[in-house]
Amino acid sequence: MVGNDIVDIAQAKKDSNWQRPRFLDKLFTEKEKEFILKSEDKFIALWQLWSMKEAAYKLYTQLNPSRFYAPKQFECFVNASIWKVNYKDFTCYVSTKITTDYIISEARLVQHKITSEVLVFKNEDLKIQGQILRDKLSKTIGKRRHIQTKTIEFQKSEFGVPTAHFNSKKINVSLTHHGRFGAFAY
Amino acid sequence: MTNDELIAKLKGIIAPYIQEEAAFTNLNEDTDFVKDLKINSANLVDIILDIEDEFDIRLENDDMEKMLDVKSAMAIVNAKLED
Repeated sequence: MVGNDIVDIAQAKKDSNWQRPRFLDKLFTEKEKEFILKSEDKFIALWQLWSMKEAAYKLYTQLNPSRFYAPKQFECFVNASIWKVNYKDFTCYVSTKITTDYIISEARLVQHKITSEVLVFKNEDLKIQGQILRDKLSKTIGKRRHIQTKTIEFQKSEFGVPTAHFNSKKINVSLTHHGRFGAFAY
Repeated sequence: MTNDELIAKLKGIIAPYIQEEAAFTNLNEDTDFVKDLKINSANLVDIILDIEDEFDIRLENDDMEKMLDVKSAMAIVNAKLED
């Protein structure tokens, strides 16, 4: 089981003003704020932590079907370069990859390397992006499991948690898109 | 403030962040910020800050947790204004 989240760096620059009053206070704990503010690139550090929280939330809601907005309570911790995110008694490992264009995080219950496949969209339409992402994920699952792509169906629960269905099997998947980028993992 | 006035104010606050015009045009109490309006979760905090500024209130963590649809936003603002 995995939760993932991608941040398009250019899009985040355009959409959010992190320096507006109370912005950091609403999303980050004191320790996280300290990490952000002492980082050489505060902007990247902020979105790195944000994507970790989002990835962890997406994993948490697969295990605990629910829907809420509590980014500050998903607390990021680092120890010897290994990141973990805690929420109440839930804890997970998070791996992050930062490029010049995007930041991607992946949360799992065990230590892991990033497996998310990243796509670059040419079309800005969200519906088309979602379709492209699901099509690519179908192809990947089909190839690995030796099943026909068209037999794979995607569903979203009332809490927005996505699953892939095939041969009366159900697997948890994680899809993310932001700006020009999308990614999936399972 | 009537419910219609409150919805109109919220609509103005939400407008810059929506990614789905049709759902925004038909905005009502049941409209979901993420599912219907496709608002990016990183922008939900901007909506929360804008609501705080507009109504001169402060939202706590418990309030933020529920800020996923118009109905919850209305309930939270109304409760704060009554305090």
